[in-house]
Amino acid sequence: MVSRAKIKELMNESACSHSKEKKPGEGCDKPKPGLATGGCAFDGAQISLFPYADAVHLVHGPQTCLGASWETRETKTSYLGRDHTQMGFTTGITTNDVIFGGDKRLSNSIDYVMEHYKPEAIFVYSTCVTALVGDDIDMTCKLGSQKHKIPVVPVHAAGFVGSKNLGSRLAGEAVLEHLIGTKEPEYTTPYDINLIGDYNVTGDMWQYLPLFEKIGLRVLSSMSGDGRVGDIRTAHRAKLNVIVCAKSLITLTRKMEEQYGIPWISVSFYGKRDTSFAIREIVNALGDLELITRAELVIAQAEEELETALTPYRQLFAGKKAVLNTGGNKAWSIASSLQDLGIEVVATSIAKSTQDDIDKAREYLGKDGVLMTKPASEQGKIIDSTGAHILLAGGRSLYTAIKKKISFIDVNQEKKTSYGGYSGLLNLAEDLKYAFRNPVFANVGKPAPWEVN
Amino acid sequence: MEFSLTHKEHKPLQINPIKHSQPMGATLAFLGIKGCMPLMHGAQGCASFTKVFFTRHFNEPIAVHNTSVSDLTAVLDGGDYSILMAIENIQNKEKNLTPSMIGLHTTGLTETKGDDVRSVGTHIEIPYVFVNTPDYEGGMESGWSLTVTAMIEQLTQAVTYIQPNTLVLLPHVSMQPIEVEKIKALCEDFGFETYALPDLSTSLDGYWEAGQGKLSNGGIRVDEIRDLATSSFVISIGASMKKSALALQKKNPLIEHIHFDHLMGLDANDNFVGKLMEIRHIAPNAHLKRWRARLQDAMLDSHFLIGSSHFVITGEPDMLTGMCALIRSVGGTVDAAVSTTFSEVLHTIDAQKVFVGDLEDAREFFDGANMVISNFHSERILHSYPNTALVIRGFPNYEELGNQLKNDQLYEGSAYFLFEIANVLRKVKHEH
Ligand code: SF4
Repeated sequence: MVSRAKIKELMNESACSHSKEKKPGEGCDKPKPGLATGGCAFDGAQISLFPYADAVHLVHGPQTCLGASWETRETKTSYLGRDHTQMGFTTGITTNDVIFGGDKRLSNSIDYVMEHYKPEAIFVYSTCVTALVGDDIDMTCKLGSQKHKIPVVPVHAAGFVGSKNLGSRLAGEAVLEHLIGTKEPEYTTPYDINLIGDYNVTGDMWQYLPLFEKIGLRVLSSMSGDGRVGDIRTAHRAKLNVIVCAKSLITLTRKMEEQYGIPWISVSFYGKRDTSFAIREIVNALGDLELITRAELVIAQAEEELETALTPYRQLFAGKKAVLNTGGNKAWSIASSLQDLGIEVVATSIAKSTQDDIDKAREYLGKDGVLMTKPASEQGKIIDSTGAHILLAGGRSLYTAIKKKISFIDVNQEKKTSYGGYSGLLNLAEDLKYAFRNPVFANVGKPAPWEVN
Repeated sequence: MEFSLTHKEHKPLQINPIKHSQPMGATLAFLGIKGCMPLMHGAQGCASFTKVFFTRHFNEPIAVHNTSVSDLTAVLDGGDYSILMAIENIQNKEKNLTPSMIGLHTTGLTETKGDDVRSVGTHIEIPYVFVNTPDYEGGMESGWSLTVTAMIEQLTQAVTYIQPNTLVLLPHVSMQPIEVEKIKALCEDFGFETYALPDLSTSLDGYWEAGQGKLSNGGIRVDEIRDLATSSFVISIGASMKKSALALQKKNPLIEHIHFDHLMGLDANDNFVGKLMEIRHIAPNAHLKRWRARLQDAMLDSHFLIGSSHFVITGEPDMLTGMCALIRSVGGTVDAAVSTTFSEVLHTIDAQKVFVGDLEDAREFFDGANMVISNFHSERILHSYPNTALVIRGFPNYEELGNQLKNDQLYEGSAYFLFEIANVLRKVKHEH
């Protein structure tokens, strides 16, 4: 199990903007009974590592942990071998394992996986029950690794140690301890970067990677979207760590800076401005003049192409106003995208945002924009007072849209297309076009014949 | 690999599992009680996964709360603190929340700790039902039936009289909301005042209104559960529900128990309808007679396509039993019936192979099959089998819409189901 000291250390992460106002030891997120609603640490660890398609992800626990979570995320991969990201592997422990320990089952499972699937690595996730009964997964993994000559990485992020966010940090710890620095890259360039925290959901990364190629940036490794375990082992040779919209992995990049001297920056690729800004940040951090010049050319060309493609949408969206009610970085990243499309964002929710996110939201919305702290009760009134045309929110707010007879997009639904990079903006524009045009929200809320007097 | 029907596992792990956990079955059962607050006693993740799972299957807001046990409370607390604080915190946060009942169930974590969830009930002022559902035992089907049994044992009042023509229906976990409604309606047509426990037909049936998602939206009422022992009949559907029916009989031995393993296909429904006729001494209405004739017609129309086809079917034991029976009744060959968990009823299935397994096992039979009837997870695997069709049934069905309105039961549902299968089969078979 993870030691208390370790958890405390992670909870007090100095580079995390959650921690500022909290007392020492209080840290990010010890759950209050009944009030923790998000995913557990195991969930977070899994999200951060699962996209490694060349590794098998073996969940050592009873049925809930994996049974209800596999194949739920559209993490795309270009890996040509068997795609393990859309498969589920679990030891599915039974009463016997709870009483006598599950180490034997785990080691047999590792053998089985090696015999039938021959992955490049195995991640073994501990979960609440196997952590509580004290299965020695470190030892089992070590023996498995020696026997099969591949990395077998224990991931100590049992659900009960905390939230998704913490789990993601613990996944970073596992990668740092067991993988990074264990292999040398075939060659290096001065433009090698690691991408940290983009999981390539719906192919988000593929929206901007072609631009990197044009500029001459090389992605040495990724944690973990479209990633390979072989590559992350060489990550210590990169010149820069680029965190994409994932505060939880700051601990990892900070430690890599300490251990390997790799500087890090944090960027996002939502919308035009953010994407251009992100590219500039990366090339500036690398500091090569030629690279910077090339980047400017690529940005200029991409922006121009985008402008042309967006013109018809801009006309369509002229004068439209939107209210945005979603959590975390989406509160400003989607706002930024909407503004890029010429839509005025009159309000956004900051109910679950960190101080960083709140600052960003203010920056994007300007002084007149409303930052809602109680969006559920505020959004209806704001729609009335501003005459907003569309509500972008989670499914629960659907009723507000119907009552106000305005358009609606469920931003929390599993996306099918990417809104990332320059071209993702076109996908968002398409979705908005159809949303504005759709009369369903006005139609469906009409009174029934027996409700009219 | 040799597959046979035993309790013993044939490998140390599951690969692409179809099995779901007991706690998830328990949550779903509590969601069929009006105003219930399902409270999962465990770390936060299980509830979060469960919520996403059912939200995507039903496309409805799902009310699930949890006690957020942490590694700290796991060691220090015997359960009382987490449970009581959770209830208090939730009530403080959601001011106007007045649950009709708290449905508490455990998870692997809190069972391993050995929490005593019974006695904490004495400190809770609203009706409280607890059930032990470790996720290292059983599966979704048993979690559901254990919960139904617990509700009967802990809520229903023992009585010594019955109300004539009242009936309790105990549906197994795999029945979708509309299926429960159809069966209830049929019983009502026979003149029974009918209750279903749980009743998803009025809670997860797709009805939308404001303010959902904190408590179960509809379902049977707590006071109705209290009075269930005054019913004259209890009908259990699915072998997993027999024990729950017996629990109700214990509250009142005058209740007559009638059991059906499933309600799919002509035979099963003839038995069912025959029994209702016998009790009530009346003939079915014209509607029902008509549906029987339509099912006969569907069987004849589809027998050629289905009768020359090979199937792989996966699912919870009770659903699997009904599906296999219906397919067999029109000549389909079931090459493999793959169950999530073990159940005695699996012995009644007429298939080449019947066993407990996962999709890695099921896949060994995909090549020879014309059709797979399985959950969402088979879809991607079947991309590599262009000549094998898929009909999605069982949990989860993440992508298709309208799952809550899919009816495969009774004469009517069986007829639609046969047509659906035959039409999908046609697409793969006629391209050969
Ligand atoms: S909270 Fe624990 S038992 Fe539940 S899903 Fe997370 S790791 Fe598994």
